[in-house]
Amino acid sequence: MIIEFVLMAVIIITTILALMQRDLMKMVVIIGIEGLGLAFLYQRLLAADVAITQAILGSALIPGLIIITVLKTRRMQE
Amino acid sequence: MSGDAVQLWSFVTAGLLVVIGLYAIIFMDNMIKKIVGAMLIGDGANLILITEGFKPGSIVPIISEKLFNEGTNGLFQSFADQASNSLPYALVLTNIVIGASTLAVLLGIAIKLYQRYNSLSVNEIFKEESQ
Repeated sequence: MIIEFVLMAVIIITTILALMQRDLMKMVVIIGIEGLGLAFLYQRLLAADVAITQAILGSALIPGLIIITVLKTRRMQE
Repeated sequence: MSGDAVQLWSFVTAGLLVVIGLYAIIFMDNMIKKIVGAMLIGDGANLILITEGFKPGSIVPIISEKLFNEGTNGLFQSFADQASNSLPYALVLTNIVIGASTLAVLLGIAIKLYQRYNSLSVNEIFKEESQ
Protein backbone atom coordinates (compact mmCIF):
# COMPACT_ATOMS: atom_id res chain seq x y z
CA MET A 1 0.00 0.00 0.00
CA ILE A 2 2.90 2.35 0.76
CA ILE A 3 4.45 1.50 -2.62
CA GLU A 4 1.47 2.78 -4.60
CA PHE A 5 1.45 6.12 -2.78
CA VAL A 6 5.21 6.57 -3.26
CA LEU A 7 4.81 5.81 -6.98
CA MET A 8 1.97 8.34 -7.36
CA ALA A 9 4.06 11.02 -5.63
CA VAL A 10 7.03 10.21 -7.89
CA ILE A 11 4.85 10.52 -11.02
CA ILE A 12 3.42 13.94 -10.08
CA ILE A 13 6.73 15.41 -8.82
CA THR A 14 8.73 14.27 -11.87
CA THR A 15 6.07 15.63 -14.22
CA ILE A 16 6.18 19.09 -12.63
CA LEU A 17 10.01 19.04 -12.48
CA ALA A 18 10.27 18.07 -16.16
CA LEU A 19 8.15 21.01 -17.29
CA MET A 20 10.23 23.45 -15.19
CA GLN A 21 13.58 22.66 -16.88
CA ARG A 22 15.17 25.04 -19.39
CA ASP A 23 17.55 22.40 -20.75
CA LEU A 24 15.51 20.04 -22.93
CA MET A 25 17.92 17.11 -22.42
CA LYS A 26 17.27 17.17 -18.65
CA MET A 27 13.54 17.25 -19.43
CA VAL A 28 13.88 14.09 -21.55
CA VAL A 29 15.63 12.15 -18.77
CA ILE A 30 13.02 13.15 -16.18
CA ILE A 31 10.19 12.21 -18.57
CA GLY A 32 11.77 8.74 -18.82
CA ILE A 33 11.66 8.39 -15.02
CA GLU A 34 7.97 9.35 -15.12
CA GLY A 35 7.19 6.64 -17.69
CA LEU A 36 8.99 4.01 -15.60
CA GLY A 37 7.06 5.02 -12.47
CA LEU A 38 3.82 4.74 -14.43
CA ALA A 39 4.82 1.22 -15.52
CA PHE A 40 5.42 0.16 -11.91
CA LEU A 41 2.05 1.65 -10.91
CA TYR A 42 0.32 -0.39 -13.64
CA GLN A 43 2.00 -3.51 -12.27
CA ARG A 44 0.74 -2.74 -8.77
CA LEU A 45 -2.79 -2.20 -10.18
CA LEU A 46 -2.77 -5.84 -11.49
CA ALA A 47 -2.31 -4.96 -15.20
CA ALA A 48 0.83 -6.94 -16.02
CA ASP A 49 0.58 -6.88 -19.84
CA VAL A 50 0.04 -3.13 -19.95
CA ALA A 51 3.00 -2.67 -17.59
CA ILE A 52 5.35 -4.51 -19.98
CA THR A 53 4.34 -2.32 -22.94
CA GLN A 54 4.50 0.89 -20.92
CA ALA A 55 7.95 0.00 -19.56
CA ILE A 56 9.39 -0.42 -23.07
CA LEU A 57 7.62 2.51 -24.74
CA GLY A 58 7.51 5.02 -21.90
CA SER A 59 11.06 4.66 -20.62
CA ALA A 60 13.07 3.87 -23.77
CA LEU A 61 11.35 4.57 -27.08
CA ILE A 62 9.55 7.88 -26.43
CA PRO A 63 12.62 9.55 -24.77
CA GLY A 64 14.68 8.27 -27.72
CA LEU A 65 12.36 9.95 -30.20
CA ILE A 66 12.43 13.21 -28.24
CA ILE A 67 16.26 13.06 -28.02
CA ILE A 68 16.47 12.74 -31.83
CA THR A 69 14.19 15.77 -32.18
CA VAL A 70 16.25 17.83 -29.69
CA LEU A 71 19.49 16.92 -31.50
CA LYS A 72 18.03 18.02 -34.83
CA THR A 73 16.71 21.33 -33.42
CA ARG A 74 17.82 23.54 -30.52
CA ARG A 75 18.84 22.28 -27.09
CA MET A 76 18.28 25.33 -24.90
CA GLN A 77 14.85 26.89 -24.65
CA GLU A 78 14.95 30.50 -25.89
CA MET B 1 -10.43 -0.38 3.00
CA SER B 2 -6.83 0.21 1.98
CA GLY B 3 -7.57 -0.88 -1.60
CA ASP B 4 -10.33 1.73 -1.77
CA ALA B 5 -7.82 4.41 -0.76
CA VAL B 6 -5.43 3.25 -3.48
CA GLN B 7 -8.20 3.45 -6.08
CA LEU B 8 -9.29 6.94 -4.96
CA TRP B 9 -5.78 8.41 -4.97
CA SER B 10 -5.02 6.77 -8.28
CA PHE B 11 -7.99 8.63 -9.76
CA VAL B 12 -6.65 11.85 -8.21
CA THR B 13 -3.23 11.20 -9.77
CA ALA B 14 -4.79 10.66 -13.21
CA GLY B 15 -6.75 13.91 -12.88
CA LEU B 16 -3.60 15.81 -11.89
CA LEU B 17 -1.77 14.39 -14.92
CA VAL B 18 -4.53 15.63 -17.25
CA VAL B 19 -4.52 19.09 -15.60
CA ILE B 20 -0.71 19.42 -15.84
CA GLY B 21 -0.82 18.37 -19.51
CA LEU B 22 -3.49 20.96 -20.31
CA TYR B 23 -1.43 23.64 -18.53
CA ALA B 24 1.64 22.68 -20.59
CA ILE B 25 -0.32 22.78 -23.87
CA ILE B 26 -1.91 26.18 -23.18
CA PHE B 27 0.80 28.20 -21.38
CA MET B 28 4.20 26.79 -22.42
CA ASP B 29 5.96 28.57 -25.26
CA ASN B 30 8.32 25.83 -26.45
CA MET B 31 6.84 23.42 -29.01
CA ILE B 32 8.48 20.24 -27.62
CA LYS B 33 7.01 20.99 -24.19
CA LYS B 34 3.56 21.31 -25.78
CA ILE B 35 4.02 17.87 -27.37
CA VAL B 36 5.11 16.40 -24.01
CA GLY B 37 1.94 17.90 -22.50
CA ALA B 38 -0.16 16.05 -25.08
CA MET B 39 1.64 12.84 -24.08
CA LEU B 40 0.84 13.51 -20.40
CA ILE B 41 -2.90 13.87 -21.18
CA GLY B 42 -2.79 10.45 -22.88
CA ASP B 43 -1.06 8.95 -19.83
CA GLY B 44 -3.76 10.37 -17.55
CA ALA B 45 -6.54 8.86 -19.68
CA ASN B 46 -4.80 5.47 -19.64
CA LEU B 47 -4.45 5.60 -15.84
CA ILE B 48 -8.18 6.42 -15.47
CA LEU B 49 -9.12 3.33 -17.53
CA ILE B 50 -6.71 1.03 -15.65
CA THR B 51 -8.01 2.20 -12.29
CA GLU B 52 -11.58 1.67 -13.50
CA GLY B 53 -10.83 -2.03 -14.11
CA PHE B 54 -8.99 -2.50 -10.79
CA LYS B 55 -11.07 -4.12 -8.04
CA PRO B 56 -9.67 -3.80 -4.48
CA GLY B 57 -8.57 -7.14 -3.05
CA SER B 58 -8.91 -9.03 -6.34
CA ILE B 59 -6.51 -11.38 -8.14
CA VAL B 60 -4.65 -11.10 -11.44
CA PRO B 61 -6.95 -12.10 -14.37
CA ILE B 62 -4.68 -14.89 -15.64
CA ILE B 63 -5.80 -18.54 -15.36
CA SER B 64 -3.10 -20.70 -13.78
CA GLU B 65 -2.61 -24.39 -14.57
CA LYS B 66 -4.08 -25.49 -11.23
CA LEU B 67 -7.26 -23.49 -11.83
CA PHE B 68 -7.51 -24.86 -15.37
CA ASN B 69 -7.27 -28.50 -14.26
CA GLU B 70 -9.99 -28.05 -11.64
CA GLY B 71 -12.13 -25.99 -13.97
CA THR B 72 -15.11 -28.30 -14.21
CA ASN B 73 -16.13 -28.01 -10.57
CA GLY B 74 -17.48 -24.50 -10.83
CA LEU B 75 -14.12 -22.91 -10.06
CA PHE B 76 -14.28 -20.76 -13.19
CA GLN B 77 -17.33 -19.07 -11.66
CA SER B 78 -15.44 -18.16 -8.48
CA PHE B 79 -12.47 -17.04 -10.60
CA ALA B 80 -14.74 -14.71 -12.57
CA ASP B 81 -16.07 -13.30 -9.30
CA GLN B 82 -12.62 -12.72 -7.83
CA ALA B 83 -10.60 -11.47 -10.81
CA SER B 84 -10.38 -7.81 -11.76
CA ASN B 85 -11.99 -6.62 -14.99
CA SER B 86 -9.59 -7.26 -17.87
CA LEU B 87 -11.46 -5.46 -20.69
CA PRO B 88 -9.92 -1.96 -20.05
CA TYR B 89 -6.45 -3.53 -20.08
CA ALA B 90 -6.91 -4.62 -23.71
CA LEU B 91 -8.13 -1.14 -24.67
CA VAL B 92 -5.23 0.61 -22.92
CA LEU B 93 -2.70 -1.75 -24.55
CA THR B 94 -3.86 -0.47 -27.95
CA ASN B 95 -3.99 3.14 -26.81
CA ILE B 96 -0.37 3.19 -25.57
CA VAL B 97 0.98 2.09 -28.97
CA ILE B 98 -1.25 4.53 -30.88
CA GLY B 99 -0.14 7.34 -28.55
CA ALA B 100 3.53 6.60 -29.24
CA SER B 101 3.04 6.74 -33.03
CA THR B 102 1.01 9.97 -32.76
CA LEU B 103 3.86 11.47 -30.74
CA ALA B 104 6.34 10.48 -33.46
CA VAL B 105 4.25 12.27 -36.13
CA LEU B 106 3.99 15.40 -33.94
CA LEU B 107 7.79 15.44 -33.42
CA GLY B 108 8.33 15.15 -37.17
CA ILE B 109 6.07 18.16 -37.77
CA ALA B 110 8.07 20.07 -35.11
CA ILE B 111 11.35 19.32 -36.95
CA LYS B 112 9.86 20.56 -40.24
CA LEU B 113 8.64 23.78 -38.59
CA TYR B 114 12.10 24.36 -37.09
CA GLN B 115 13.76 23.93 -40.49
CA ARG B 116 11.40 26.48 -42.04
CA TYR B 117 11.22 29.19 -39.35
CA ASN B 118 14.53 28.48 -37.50
CA SER B 119 12.84 28.65 -34.11
CA LEU B 120 10.87 26.43 -31.74
CA SER B 121 8.97 29.25 -30.00
CA VAL B 122 5.32 29.50 -30.99
CA ASN B 123 5.26 33.27 -30.49
CA GLU B 124 8.22 33.73 -32.88
CA ILE B 125 6.54 31.57 -35.52
CA PHE B 126 3.28 33.52 -35.32
CA LYS B 127 5.19 36.84 -35.46
CA GLU B 128 7.13 35.73 -38.52
CA GLU B 129 4.00 34.40 -40.18
CA SER B 130 2.01 37.63 -39.73
CA GLN B 131 4.68 39.85 -41.37
